[in-house]
Amino acid sequence: MMKRLFMKSKKKQISPKTDHEQGVDPDFDVTLEQFKKAYFYPVNTDFTVRNLHIGGINKRAAIVFINTITDIQVINEFAIDPLIKNQEQNILIEDIITIQSMETKNTINDATLDINNGNAALIIEGESKVYILNASNFEGRSVEKPDNESVVKGPKEAFNEKVFTNISLVRKRIRDKNLIVESSIISKRSKNMVYMLYLKDIANEKLLDNVRERVNALDTDAIQNLSLLEQYIEERKYSIFPSVLYTERPDRAVSFLEDGYIVLLMENSPDCLVLPATFWSFFHSAEDHYLRFPYGNFTRILRMLSFFITIFTSAIYVAVVTYHIGMIPPDLLLAIAATREKVPFPALVEIVLMEIAFELIREAGLRVPTPIGPTIGIVGALILGQAAVQANLVSPIVVIVVALGGLSSFAVGDISMNFTVRLIRFLFIFAAGLFGIYGMTAVFVMGMFYMVSLKSFGVPYLSPLTPSYQSSKDTLFRRAIPKEALRPGYLKPKDIKKR
Amino acid sequence: MRKIPIIAKILGSLLCVTILSGCWDQKETEELAYVTVVGLDKDEENENMVKVTYVIANPEVGSLAEGGGGGGEPPLETISFSASDFITSRSLANTVISKEITYDVLRNIMVSEDFARDKDFIRWMYDITKEMEIRRDINLFVTKEDPSAFVQNNQPKMDTGPHKYYELIFNRGQDTGTIPPSEVGQFFRITEADADLFLGIYGTTEKSDNYKRDRDPDQFMAGELNYEGQTNTTQFAGSAVFKEGKMIDTLTIEETRLSYLLSTTMKQPEALLVALPDPFHEEYEVATKIYREKDIQINVNLKRDKPSIHATVPIKMSILTNHGMTNLAKYRDNREKLKKAFEETLNKEFEEFIKKTQEEYGSEPFGWSLAARKKFRTIPEFEEFDWMKTYPEMDVSIDTQIDLENFGRQTDLPKMKEVRD
Repeated sequence: MMKRLFMKSKKKQISPKTDHEQGVDPDFDVTLEQFKKAYFYPVNTDFTVRNLHIGGINKRAAIVFINTITDIQVINEFAIDPLIKNQEQNILIEDIITIQSMETKNTINDATLDINNGNAALIIEGESKVYILNASNFEGRSVEKPDNESVVKGPKEAFNEKVFTNISLVRKRIRDKNLIVESSIISKRSKNMVYMLYLKDIANEKLLDNVRERVNALDTDAIQNLSLLEQYIEERKYSIFPSVLYTERPDRAVSFLEDGYIVLLMENSPDCLVLPATFWSFFHSAEDHYLRFPYGNFTRILRMLSFFITIFTSAIYVAVVTYHIGMIPPDLLLAIAATREKVPFPALVEIVLMEIAFELIREAGLRVPTPIGPTIGIVGALILGQAAVQANLVSPIVVIVVALGGLSSFAVGDISMNFTVRLIRFLFIFAAGLFGIYGMTAVFVMGMFYMVSLKSFGVPYLSPLTPSYQSSKDTLFRRAIPKEALRPGYLKPKDIKKR
Repeated sequence: MRKIPIIAKILGSLLCVTILSGCWDQKETEELAYVTVVGLDKDEENENMVKVTYVIANPEVGSLAEGGGGGGEPPLETISFSASDFITSRSLANTVISKEITYDVLRNIMVSEDFARDKDFIRWMYDITKEMEIRRDINLFVTKEDPSAFVQNNQPKMDTGPHKYYELIFNRGQDTGTIPPSEVGQFFRITEADADLFLGIYGTTEKSDNYKRDRDPDQFMAGELNYEGQTNTTQFAGSAVFKEGKMIDTLTIEETRLSYLLSTTMKQPEALLVALPDPFHEEYEVATKIYREKDIQINVNLKRDKPSIHATVPIKMSILTNHGMTNLAKYRDNREKLKKAFEETLNKEFEEFIKKTQEEYGSEPFGWSLAARKKFRTIPEFEEFDWMKTYPEMDVSIDTQIDLENFGRQTDLPKMKEVRD
């Protein structure tokens, strides 16, 4: 059994020696055979072995690689070609090959790791090491616009599935030697690599250690991408509140990095994880800061409003109509009573019915194949809304209430927080149906207690609001940009002053 | 035995708590009959019974909602019957009315003048404080006739919803100062304080025969306005005066307005439109818009042998008509004269009305006892003083201070001589 495989960086490997660790045999045939065996050659069709004879030094050699993830042209042009054409006799291999980056590995295991990452291994007769030629070329998308976090004003680049593109997108924004990209392998079988980005002179060491520890403590065969990793490293796995921020915008990731947060990147993930996350980071959107001060705060007010509308409208309707009819003006009460006259269900059932219908439309709309997407919209809006009212299954006011709540929920941009709000809504509806406003108040108070008790990587969920920390006070509202001169104190950054 | 996981225990007990303690006796909105007005009257035969009148609003009227409908239904249902009180009458009404009677949207309570003048009236009124559903800010109004007749005669042509009609007409009446603000909560407060008078709204659907053509238009009460046209027969004007929880008299519109201006507790109307005699030409009257912007200042002096009250009434005034065509805007002297004359007129009216309250009622509806109460260290001392007993003997002086605001859009008027040239 291989124990936790742990790498500090690509070059410096600290892994415990095991029986499977095989040194490279100077015998060319043996080594080649070992590679072939490791990759089940020739059953494995995309594993390629190119035998060649190096001119000049007159040695046999072979280049092995997986041709689907390797740039064959690079190998051909900068490795095979110079090797074959070499005439000089006293020359090092490093001097023959003109490829831009290469290194040597002393064990077969190390070499296979590189081959798996798209590099080619060069085996030379009589040498007890293997040359690794960097020529990886994974297929993937180019940089595209963000799908889920679109903005009107501001950059429109999004992370894609290639991690090096993603790192490059970050480096493009922080041209600083203090930006560290640490990497480590976190799964045993698939050897998934996680890249931890932070600013050396800002990020808190304890926080870094905490994250490192948690990332490296994973003992699993495969973690395909960040969405899965998020669920491995978060503190409360059953909590309704997310505690790790997930964003696809490099500009957002960078602004967090500059504040002393830590960003995790992974291959195959068109996004990044930001740690630690507070409630406010889910509440904010990238555009809040791109828009001018009054406009940005206006959208913040709208979002807060939609937060409360989503959570409370349906619940308040249920509570007021079932228990507190004295609270509403007679006109409104009579209007509600009139629309409910022919509805056979109690208000609670009516609301839950429509809420579920709305959730169904949303879920179905998401999963439906694009060509029939618009049909779903028509079916949802017309059949469920109009016809249900005409059939006296629900009252028109309920359609308004549910539609308003549903619409408002989209103003909460973060997908995790969006789910949180939608689920909490049901909690409030049932509390309202059973106990009226009293029940809602009880649930709200309990929810506040719970939120205050939450922590994300040691950072209280509602900080810097409560507990209070030194910060730029970018919570419900934001301040004018020049006044946001402090990094968030709850991260305990090495340098708190931004300006 | 398998161990039950703790989370299941917690969830199970939470489920039990919600199921056992939920409010399962609640009624859906459409299962209720909304009483918007309750009428109370003496039962002729049995003095331990009360005749209850209900005005039940039909929610479906005026609603265009698809789910609603009910196009041809009447806007309201009324029912009158005798019951031992208007709380138990709710279940009695269900022998006729199909839905549960609720007082949740009850906004008005109507009592007949006959009943209000009864010494036992207060006993029935205190039932309101017992009932959970009735709010304290509902309006109390007195009808000249039997409430059952009132609700049958009251046929508003346009605001057919009963809750809407009363809300609108009372709000407007209070804005123009023709009827007093008349909340049941205030009724209880004033009755229990046992010092001031309470003013209730006075209304009727019957035309009074004591209408006289030569009377000042402000001198009438409900039923005395003579009008023609196809409209409702109901009139709300003037106030019913309650002393110690019993109605003793009625006030005209003018007296109600004077009470507003002198009151320390009533919410002031938007503006009062009043015609006052023109000091420059005796044959004309000047229409004015007056309102009290600041609080009335009351100086109570109890040190002297004969206690005295001095009240300063700050009034803002705009001139609306000027039939005498005196140029007021241009000449300061004219303005001063006008101001002085009006101040005197108002002082006189105030003093006459106060005299009436002292002599006829033995107390006042202005809430002045509250100002006097400040002079005592303890409530028992104030009760000892007995406001109702001392008020009729007091020296009351009023100082009206008019602040002229404007003289209309066109401040300058043409000279009569030039026009008639």
